[in-house]
Amino acid sequence: MAAAQDGDQKAYAALLQAITPYLRAVAWRAGLEGDEIEDGVQDILLTIHSIRQSYDPRRPFAPWLLAVARHRLIDRLRRRGRLRFRETELTPVHETFATDETNLPEENGEIRRLKKAIAGLPPGQRQAVELLRLEELSLKEAAARSGQSPSALKVALHRALRRLRILMPRS
Amino acid sequence: MRSTEELISSLATELAPVRRLKPPALRALRWILLATALIVALVLLRGLRTDMSDCLRDPAYLVQLAGAWLTGAAATFAAFEVSLPDRPRSWLLLPLPFAAFWLSGFAYGCLADWVAIPAGAPVIPDSVRCLETLIMASLPLGLVLWIMLRRARPLRPAATAWIGALAVAAFADTAHLLIHVVEASALVLVINLVPVTLILLLGGLLGRHSLALAR
Repeated sequence: MAAAQDGDQKAYAALLQAITPYLRAVAWRAGLEGDEIEDGVQDILLTIHSIRQSYDPRRPFAPWLLAVARHRLIDRLRRRGRLRFRETELTPVHETFATDETNLPEENGEIRRLKKAIAGLPPGQRQAVELLRLEELSLKEAAARSGQSPSALKVALHRALRRLRILMPRS
Repeated sequence: MRSTEELISSLATELAPVRRLKPPALRALRWILLATALIVALVLLRGLRTDMSDCLRDPAYLVQLAGAWLTGAAATFAAFEVSLPDRPRSWLLLPLPFAAFWLSGFAYGCLADWVAIPAGAPVIPDSVRCLETLIMASLPLGLVLWIMLRRARPLRPAATAWIGALAVAAFADTAHLLIHVVEASALVLVINLVPVTLILLLGGLLGRHSLALAR
C-alpha cells in the first residue's frame, strides 16, 4: 500500500488482486448475497482508491482495510434496509390475469357453485331460499311477497336446504 | 457492470502518487494553533471585556473559559481521529468532560446570580456585537476545518461533522467569553447558548453531507 501511495501501479494491482478474495469473504459474512457481493467488493475497492492518502504506512494495513470494508458494507446494508422498507419486490402472487374469473371473487369456486345449485332448484324452493336466506326477510314479509303461506314457505326452505346439502357436500 | 478484474486494472492504470496525510494529532494541533491565533487577533481587534480584572478573580468564569477552550481542543483531536477509518469511535467521547465544565458555566451563571436585565441597558446593539464576534470566529474556523477534514474523505461523515462543529462552536465561544460582558443571566442563554447551538447544528448538518464520499 505504501508503494501504491507513491504511484507504483504494479504493486497496487497486485495488492488489489490479493485482497479481493478476502473482501468477498467479508462481504459474504456481512450478509450480502449473489451479485451484491461483487458490487460490495467493487465499492470497497473504489473507496480504497479514493482515500488511499489516509493510510499511514507506520500502522498495519489489515485493520485499515477491514475498517474501510466494514464502513462501506454497513452503508450498503443500511441503504438496502431503507430500500426494502419502502419498496416491495413483485412476486408471482402480485401478478394477475385480465379475465373476470381471476379477479371477481363472486365468480370464483364455491360461490359460483352455490349460485348454480340454487338456480337448479324447483321454482318454489328457489324463491324460499332467495327471500328467507339471501334477502333475509321475515316469514311474514316473505309470505306477503310470494303469495305463499308461511308454513308452505317453511317446508319449501327446509326441502331446498336439504337438497343443497346433497348437491354441495361439505369438503 | 464491469468485472472486478477490469476495475482493478483500470484503477491501477489511473493510479497517481498521493501525498500522505500527516498524523491526525499533528493536523489537529495545527488547527488548534490557528484557532487560538484567531481568538487572540479578535481580542486585539475588539478589545478584552471591560470587567476582565473582576473576571480573573471569579473561579466560575475561569472554569467556563478553560472548559470552552479545552472542549474545542479535545473536539478537534477527536474530529481528526474519527475522520480516519481505522480509529476507534470512542474518540468522540474525549470532549465530554471538558464540555461539562464549559456548560457548567452557563448553569452556574443562571443559578448563582440571576441578574435581571438592567432597565435601559443597550440589549440589542450588544447582542449584535456578540453575534458579530461569534460569526467572525466561527466562519473562517469552520471553513478551514472543513477543508482540512475533507482531505481525509471521512467514511464517518456525520460523526466527523458533528464533532468538528463542536470544536468550532467551542472556540467561537472562547472568543466571545473573552470579549463580551454578558452579565444578565437570561441573556447568557439567548446570546451565548443559542448561537453556539446554531453553529453546532449548521456545521453538523452542512458537514455531514459535504464531507461524505460520493456514492
